[in-house]
Amino acid sequence: MAELKYAFYTGCSAKGVAPELYNSTKLVADKLGMELIELEAATCCGAGAVQEKDEFLALTINARNLALAEELGLDLLTICNTCTLMLRETKFKLDNDPELKEAVNEVLKEAGLEYKGTSEVTHFLWEVIDGVGLDRLKEMVVRPLKEFNIAPFYGCHIIRPPYLIGYEDPDNPKSIEMIIEAVGGNPVDHTARLACCGFHSFWSAEDKVTLRLTAMDAESAKEEKADFMVTPCPLCHTQLDAMQEEAEERIGVKLGIPVLHLPQMIGLAIGFKPKELGLEKHVISTEEIIRKVA
Amino acid sequence: MEIFKLKVYRYDPTKDSEPYYRTYELPVEKGMTVLAALFKAKEEQDPTISFRYNCRAAICGSCAMRINGHATLACKVQITHLLEKYDTDTITVDPIGNVKPLKDLIYDMDWLVDKLKRVKPWFIPKEPPPADGTEYRQDPYDHHRIDFASDCILCASCMSDCNALKANKDFLGPMVHSKAYRFIADTRDGEKQERFEAILEDLNLEWCVRCVECTTRCPKEVQPYENIIRLRIMAAEAGYKTPGEIHAEIFEQDIYNRGLLNEMLLPMRQEGILGAIKRAPFGIKMMLKGKVNYADFFGGHKIKRLEEVQKIYEVAKQKEKEVKIKLPQIMGVIYEDKRKTRKRPNYAETGGNE
Repeated sequence: MAELKYAFYTGCSAKGVAPELYNSTKLVADKLGMELIELEAATCCGAGAVQEKDEFLALTINARNLALAEELGLDLLTICNTCTLMLRETKFKLDNDPELKEAVNEVLKEAGLEYKGTSEVTHFLWEVIDGVGLDRLKEMVVRPLKEFNIAPFYGCHIIRPPYLIGYEDPDNPKSIEMIIEAVGGNPVDHTARLACCGFHSFWSAEDKVTLRLTAMDAESAKEEKADFMVTPCPLCHTQLDAMQEEAEERIGVKLGIPVLHLPQMIGLAIGFKPKELGLEKHVISTEEIIRKVA
Repeated sequence: MEIFKLKVYRYDPTKDSEPYYRTYELPVEKGMTVLAALFKAKEEQDPTISFRYNCRAAICGSCAMRINGHATLACKVQITHLLEKYDTDTITVDPIGNVKPLKDLIYDMDWLVDKLKRVKPWFIPKEPPPADGTEYRQDPYDHHRIDFASDCILCASCMSDCNALKANKDFLGPMVHSKAYRFIADTRDGEKQERFEAILEDLNLEWCVRCVECTTRCPKEVQPYENIIRLRIMAAEAGYKTPGEIHAEIFEQDIYNRGLLNEMLLPMRQEGILGAIKRAPFGIKMMLKGKVNYADFFGGHKIKRLEEVQKIYEVAKQKEKEVKIKLPQIMGVIYEDKRKTRKRPNYAETGGNE
């Protein structure tokens, strides 16, 4: 088996409001045989915010992030959809525009760095499928999640736009369902499977757009009688879990649907305790899940 | 002979109390488009199906509809590809989303036209044409900036699948914002301020959730999502101080000062002291769940090698004015990585572009 070693790009959320994602990723990756070398010098990806103000600066900062992975000779692994998009966008633009790449490298040179384009940008979700492999994952399952109906929530930036992401068909992706099945769960089809959580317009349109979308998403999973939702993105998680009660207030309906990070779901199936995976850190209670897996 | 099912949304408000689906069984023919299948069903089985069409060549934009849940031009997608892509024997056809259906697949266009009018989607020159009788001239790079946006055929596929529009019908939508970009970014145009005011009214431009459905759906490489981002950059440059602009400044400062975002102090800096008070109950909830990094209240930790980042800021800020960033060519492009070992779950070889 090929060596599974990655330059680990944590992003801000896993170091901030989603410590349970950081911890569960490290535990689960280690058990699955993925070696994560954390990029302790990496910056925030700009999250689309810096990109809306200063495109060249955003590209240069992310070229540095990519260069840090290149120094290690490793592919860069993310655990956030938006980080994935921002880094892949940078790579796409630099790899397809030699003049831009040169301009960026002139800046990086002043800081003693160079962007070459030798490291790929990948996401934990994809590496569980392509690196670890679903057969291997199935072999490691000690606590199949067979009694759980699980609603996948992809989040936008792991499927769109296809010209930058391109891992699978954005109209009919299957990767999360494949992992749910591998850990013994029942994937639930629901209308918001490929929808948006609303996160990125929070500060400008909290009531007009964001919380309305959050409510629709949680309702969609609830309607199909899902026991919980699972997402590969900490921003979707913050929106769907931490802001779910605020969304409920807007529609006047109690939903209470738990939302798990992808590595937490895998972790439960491969033998970690809910506490080790930080399930108690969620705003929407995960007690029912904890009770069932005990 | 292989047969597939064409499941068509039917609704005639003069007769039907509720919309319903009617399914037509048709032979699978190589090269048959969804529009051709609709013609075949109409000609041979049911002359009452109503749909708009004209050019049959993805130029006029009349036949946009939702096919298996996603908006596209019915004349641009082929039955055989769709059956394989969705691993099904049924193609479901609905009117585009976020609009009022009038009859079957035909929807009310007035609503879209009214939205468009608000950004004055026509060229308003800032000065009279050159006195020597030549045309308005433009630098090739300036033209490149609006080249893709000019290709919009107003099919409204982007409006159909827009998440912000789904949440709130007052959002102008990607088609309209993208059209505003086409003129605001045109160096020859003279009505920039009025257009900015239209798209920033009630912060409309910033309702966009960056779901990128619009660019994913667009059959003409117009890049509505990217145009919305470009508009936001231009609005900031024009001096509009929006929440999005404040948000961007906070990110820029944090990357410079510490490398990662300080999420704990974000609400206070974003919305001021009143905002912080408004968000306090939420903050307490997060604290009780152990989701708060207390060190961040006192600045938190810094990334390693932060001096490199600060040097980059210094140099990049000087250099950015001279850099001309080209718009990406995206038609039919799928940016896969170079590792050959990857197995893809299910990606039709065309990547959705046919």
